[in-house]
Amino acid sequence: MSFGRFVLKRSLQGIGVVWGVVTVVFALRFVTPGSPINAVAPLDASQETRQAIAAELGLDQPLYIQYGRYVFELLQGDMGRSYIRGQEVTTLVFERLPATIELAVAASIVAIVLAIPLGVISATRRNEPVDYGATLLSLGGISTPNFWLGIMLILIFAVEFNIFNTSGRGADVGDVALSVVNAEPFVGTLLTWLAYITLPSIALGTYFMALITRLTRSGMLDELSKGYVQAARAKGLPRTLIRYKHALRNTLIPVITVLGLQLGTLIGGAVITEAVFSWPGLGTLVIESINQRDWPALQGSLIVIGTSFVLVNILVDVVYAYLDPEVVTD
Amino acid sequence: MPTDNDDHVDRRTVLKYAGTAGAVGLAGCAGGGDGGDGGDGSDGGDGMDGGDGSDGSDGSDGGDGGDDTFELGVTMGQMDSGLDPQDHAETNTEIIVGQLYEGLLDRDKQGGIIAGLADEWERTEDGDVRFMLRDGLTFHNGDEVTPQDVRYSIRRIVFEDVGIASPQSNDLGPVTEVATGDGQVTVSFDGYNPIAFQLFATNGPIVQQSWIEENGSDYINRNANGTGPFRLTNYESGNQVVYEPNEEYWDGAPEVDELTMTASSESSTRVNQLLAEETDIVTNVPPNEVSRVNSSDVATINSVPSARIIFLQMRYDVEPFSSQQFRQAMNYAVDVESIIENVLNGFGNITGQPTLEGHVGYNPDIDPYPYDPDEAERLVEESGHAGVEITLQTPIGRYLRDVEIAQAAANQIDSLSNVSCEVQQREFSSLVQDITTGNIEDKPHFNLLGWGNGEFDGSQTMTPLMSSEGALTILKNDDLDALLNEAETTQDTEERVDILQEANQLAHDLAPWVFMHQQFSVYGVSNEISWEPRADEFIDPDTATRQ
Repeated sequence: MSFGRFVLKRSLQGIGVVWGVVTVVFALRFVTPGSPINAVAPLDASQETRQAIAAELGLDQPLYIQYGRYVFELLQGDMGRSYIRGQEVTTLVFERLPATIELAVAASIVAIVLAIPLGVISATRRNEPVDYGATLLSLGGISTPNFWLGIMLILIFAVEFNIFNTSGRGADVGDVALSVVNAEPFVGTLLTWLAYITLPSIALGTYFMALITRLTRSGMLDELSKGYVQAARAKGLPRTLIRYKHALRNTLIPVITVLGLQLGTLIGGAVITEAVFSWPGLGTLVIESINQRDWPALQGSLIVIGTSFVLVNILVDVVYAYLDPEVVTD
Repeated sequence: MPTDNDDHVDRRTVLKYAGTAGAVGLAGCAGGGDGGDGGDGSDGGDGMDGGDGSDGSDGSDGGDGGDDTFELGVTMGQMDSGLDPQDHAETNTEIIVGQLYEGLLDRDKQGGIIAGLADEWERTEDGDVRFMLRDGLTFHNGDEVTPQDVRYSIRRIVFEDVGIASPQSNDLGPVTEVATGDGQVTVSFDGYNPIAFQLFATNGPIVQQSWIEENGSDYINRNANGTGPFRLTNYESGNQVVYEPNEEYWDGAPEVDELTMTASSESSTRVNQLLAEETDIVTNVPPNEVSRVNSSDVATINSVPSARIIFLQMRYDVEPFSSQQFRQAMNYAVDVESIIENVLNGFGNITGQPTLEGHVGYNPDIDPYPYDPDEAERLVEESGHAGVEITLQTPIGRYLRDVEIAQAAANQIDSLSNVSCEVQQREFSSLVQDITTGNIEDKPHFNLLGWGNGEFDGSQTMTPLMSSEGALTILKNDDLDALLNEAETTQDTEERVDILQEANQLAHDLAPWVFMHQQFSVYGVSNEISWEPRADEFIDPDTATRQ
């Protein structure tokens, strides 16, 4: 199979998965108890008012018509209109997406910056106190629920020491970039951005950090026991060079794969962290939409989250195939 | 938010210095700009922070030549569901939209009717109601408010064919026509409407006809053109809404220079925001967080009995609840005082009738059922239902500590020797679907519910919940129906109060509910401001002042 055909095949599979997501998400509405009309209409609304609202929302149509119309409009980039907000779902979702991506990327950065050195150190100093410390830390990271961690971080660093903001989003990466272009005080904008994003990205990134630390540690241990490392040692190459140039590079290949896939998970998994920090991203929109039975907004958010997951997967596959042609011939 | 800014200045100054020391390269980029700020907290002035509301123009920390602006932050549990003032039916949206739009009449903090866009109102000889508009009223876009705009607004709410199927269509009563005159509007109803002014004091926001007709739903839900004390400056759906004072406001511009409304669904996050001085007013502080707020030196708890009543309703047509003795027994079995004390930390008032104290028709002669388990057991025996097993359905997280209240009540009922009771937790939306179904046969037998009465009138609780034709009724009683019908048509105000008081006495005796309590609205308020909450759950930052 040529590389081009491989990409095409993966893309078609991806489209199939996205269509599946759309269908499942659409079907969810009908197996979930509670009608969206209850969220729109007051409790004492008459049956006529309820019927009028149902008609306005298109809920009085048979299922297959609702589904067909939904898919048809989706193909034109129209995710419908929010039941509750009266606004275009496409606008709502794409307004929120950047905040979630920003948080997911920041969390990944926090994780990588901490995890890789931690993993390397704990592998190279195996069974020393520092290794035990790192193991304990990663165990803690994996087993700590991130809503609890988030609340603790807020209590300590925002309320008690007043270093960071408790919640919300004061400035975004765009503002930071713009402040350079517009010659506005760059440091001020950067610090505002950091004051808001630091705690949620630590809360979200901790689990991921723990995961990568474990992965790096075991990968590194693997590499260090291999023949080429022994040969390099025998040749008298400096230990640092062997560890960081040769062994780490090989260790990082599977780590990068996990990183790629995990980014998709982070986008979907940010829901709880976003709620704790009132981060105005897709996660908050998902929670709000569930509470309000706002199906179009919920469907839109889930489809975008699902699609970004699929996209990242395809991208990782394609990059992998590019780097390792054997994958294509498999 | 003066304190807020002080704090941010401190925080930023620390961060700035740390950043400058740690990252020379970055500091270099900042160059003169940052030097010019000099850590004086003038971030707002440089335009990069203004958008976040909680960080906006600083300078109130004294000595740095700040402009001493009064910024106020309000944090609720949930943001609005769009800014169309007539296309929603929930409190959060009402609060956010209510800063921008207003109705013909308004209410004071206690719930009394006061003037709004109309400065005079009267009943005409044939029973219609007439509102005289103030002179010189303008919308935020500068256009004058006309009687035609008022007519259009009322019709848009009531009549589906005017534009939207408004969820507020029942809120103004059975309106049949709206006529305009010189500076006045006359509303006709299907028959005499004794509570017309109560309805208009709570409902009916006024919009500009041409503005609504020219713009699509998406635009109307993201922009605003009302007559309220604040104008919209920045709307970020689901994130924050920023307002500035309306300098042309007929009642004088509010003292607040910038108002920001945000939301955090996590109650602990809201409290933390308040304690970190990032916001000034937070809603629904849970009872277990109250002491944390009160023991801080930056904020205090400010609570008010709300217009919401909590009760356990029992369907009159199914056993064992078909027995009046059994229903009364349930009232004797539940120790409401102890639930208020232990579950709600005292934030509740015990009730014994469907109408709350201070509302039209409240009967001061009715005492709540006392806690008397022996009497309860005796009545259960008498009803012939000894040994019965019942289930109490409760929504999860809809009302303040609803699940805990239901569990406590069910435990107390269960501890009777001749009744066993368990709790079934239900997702609110699905419980509501059962409660609001047209047929009484499909409704839950026994469930917890809350009811907000924004009109402060007993009929607005009893008619929908206890009359035979009520949308949510679980009772059919000819005597009560007759009283409520009479109240609906009685033109004499005092006579109407007497009838409603009688209806309350009857409701107490019939006991279709286990009468629980009046819910409190519990706010955390920054010590930097002075603000009193209202009974109707609406938040009015235009009345806030600096301490």
